[in-house]
Amino acid sequence: MAEEIIQRPALPKKPFNPTSVWLSGWLALIWLIIVDLELSFETLLYGVQDILEYFSRYSRPNFDDLSRYVELLGQTLATALWGSTLAIVVAVLLAPFAARNLSPNAVTYRIARELLNFMRAMPDLLLALIFVAALGLGPLPGALALGVHTAGFLGKFFAESLERVDNGIYEAVTASGASRVQLVMYAGWPSIQREALGYMLYIFDRNVRMAAVLGLVGAGGIGLALHDTLRMFNYDQSAALIVVILVTILTIDYLSTWLRGKLN
Amino acid sequence: MAKIIIKDIVKRYANGFEALKGVSAEIAAGSFTVILGPSGAGKSTLLRTINGLETQTAGTIQIGEHIVTPHNLRQVRSQVGMVFQHFNLVDRLSVMTNVLTGRLSHRSWLGSLLYLFRRTDLDLAHDALIRVGLTDKAWNRADKLSGGQQQRVGIARALAQQPRVILADEPVASLDPVASEEIMGLLREICTRDGITVVVNLHQVELARRFADRIIGLNEGLVVYDGPTGGLDRITLGKIYSRNGDLVDEQLETMLAYA
Amino acid sequence: MSNSKLCWPTPNGRPGLVPTLSLLACILLLAISASAVELDFGRIVTAIPRMLAFAGNLLVLPDWEYLPILAKNILQTIEMTFLATSIALVISLPLGVLAAKNTSPHPAVFHATRNLLSLMRALPELVWALVFVSAVGLGPLPGIMALSFVTVGFMGKFFAESIEVVDQRQVEGVVAQGASWLQLRTFAHFPQAFPDFVGTVMYVLDHNLRAAAILGLVGAGGIGYDLVMAMRMFDYNRLLPIALSIYIVVTLLDRASDHFRMRMI
Repeated sequence: MAEEIIQRPALPKKPFNPTSVWLSGWLALIWLIIVDLELSFETLLYGVQDILEYFSRYSRPNFDDLSRYVELLGQTLATALWGSTLAIVVAVLLAPFAARNLSPNAVTYRIARELLNFMRAMPDLLLALIFVAALGLGPLPGALALGVHTAGFLGKFFAESLERVDNGIYEAVTASGASRVQLVMYAGWPSIQREALGYMLYIFDRNVRMAAVLGLVGAGGIGLALHDTLRMFNYDQSAALIVVILVTILTIDYLSTWLRGKLN
Repeated sequence: MAKIIIKDIVKRYANGFEALKGVSAEIAAGSFTVILGPSGAGKSTLLRTINGLETQTAGTIQIGEHIVTPHNLRQVRSQVGMVFQHFNLVDRLSVMTNVLTGRLSHRSWLGSLLYLFRRTDLDLAHDALIRVGLTDKAWNRADKLSGGQQQRVGIARALAQQPRVILADEPVASLDPVASEEIMGLLREICTRDGITVVVNLHQVELARRFADRIIGLNEGLVVYDGPTGGLDRITLGKIYSRNGDLVDEQLETMLAYA
Repeated sequence: MSNSKLCWPTPNGRPGLVPTLSLLACILLLAISASAVELDFGRIVTAIPRMLAFAGNLLVLPDWEYLPILAKNILQTIEMTFLATSIALVISLPLGVLAAKNTSPHPAVFHATRNLLSLMRALPELVWALVFVSAVGLGPLPGIMALSFVTVGFMGKFFAESIEVVDQRQVEGVVAQGASWLQLRTFAHFPQAFPDFVGTVMYVLDHNLRAAAILGLVGAGGIGYDLVMAMRMFDYNRLLPIALSIYIVVTLLDRASDHFRMRMI
């Protein structure tokens, strides 16, 4: 045993483990940001009691105006539905051009990709502001804004799914002399049907959440009511509105989870 | 080092399938035992029950002076090393860290949260790696190694525990013949030199004959043979590998030819 | 003659019942909701000239004196995103462990955590920002609080889902060594789920940057406030630089996160 310990082969040199560098860099960055933003967590700590007191003001939701809330909610859901429909139509038309293996040539591919990127990069509230300026107040500019913004997401998701389809399927359909449109219709969409439905559900889900706040920029829906009641320190009604929004969004969340489970 | 006493073990799964129908055996300390039997005979279930990975429906298992219960699993497992068919290494951790997981039962929760070990643990892991001849791979990621090397890491992990018993569940079923030979030799050497009790599940009769002190033949959840390697004649093998009570001669021929 | 008639590739040549009904239901739903969104194509058409005029207005030289402030506010937006995501990350890791079926200590804990997470992500950041602004005052702090709060809801769920798909065999390899409850999570589950975690963090960073860019709308810090003011005051010489800088930052992060995710796989 003793001789073995003397001549036991040494471990190779331990390679440098970058975790500690990443971790300390991360912490340093956080510290810098806290300093730069002049955040004072002490005031936050001292303020805990104030905040608790503040939230207790929401403890008595007032549902007197429930019928108006439901109407606004209907408008919000309609906005999300029309926005999602617009997004689906635009994305279905653009996605084949933005898929490397289906796009007619490199130029159309680039254009489609950049167009989708642009739509995605523009925040929907900014778009809503622009459309409100052009179309006037109301839910229509909201639906348009949601549509344009989420078409960018949906188009990207669709295009990536179309690119992931097994090349053999495309080759088989091409080999039968199919045109490019036929290739997309008979090999592309059917292969990604299930994924695509999942993405659409996700987008609708997201749009309902966003439609609930579009009212802030005058684009209709329940968000404006919430904004107004908060500004008038009408906490009972704000609480009621938050409850209504919460229940709706949770219901849709569970419904879409259930539907997605059924799709798989 | 430690004796294993298996007493009337019955294992019934939730779907009603009875994998073990009352298995008893006494495995001597420091011996090398091979369990043979066709697929589905209950070999894996038996081995996994010994380490508490499965809970038996009835019967008791005693390792050394401890009876295995759901409450002392951590203590029992700290004395029992386990080697798996598919190695079951954590792919994304280094070989060294994988071996060090063998020391986890001796470490506190706080240290484990920060991936900290003691110097002595590192030395034990180092020694274990020397035993299996993989010191040069210590800092490689586990999934970058070949199958035979991964299994040697699996054995090093078991050794790092300083176990009294090593259980190996078909350790060579996923390996080529050369690597199989190495792994079995390594297990035999560990048994002989350190006096660790080794129990191995095997499919290869020929390997069992060469390496084991003793054979336990299992078929349809029952012990059909328990004795020295010398007793493995045609009739015994026929009994071990019979299906539904019928001797399947051709199958046995192919099996033996393969062995 | 009848052989050249068009028909669908179904047994009776007519479209299937389920797709037809679903399509009809969708159209019906859209028709009903059309009035609620005040759909009016005439209005859209008449708005086109106004849109073009608006686009024309944008083409002015930027307000040079504003650019340093713009840079500062964009930086603030990025800082808010990073800080909020980091805070949420630290909180989400333990919650994710509790919300994954295979690592949760008890089914009751699992269900409670899952429901808590879906409650946290139910309302959009802006609603929470509104609430927090009226609680702690204007500035980036309420924005960071709102972002972290909602992000925990998303990240915790994503983390839990990646923990649930780890390879059970590798976990068993560590169980057999006598590892404790916590050791199992750090040595078996975490290393396996790590690449998924990185993907999730990149995705969430991306999402939070977009969200942070508009939080200023309600006074919760970042570039959003300038954006709304420029829009309301018709400061076209500021509007285009703001929109452009948002576009650039978002696109850069988008590319970076795509690249990073590709490398992790």
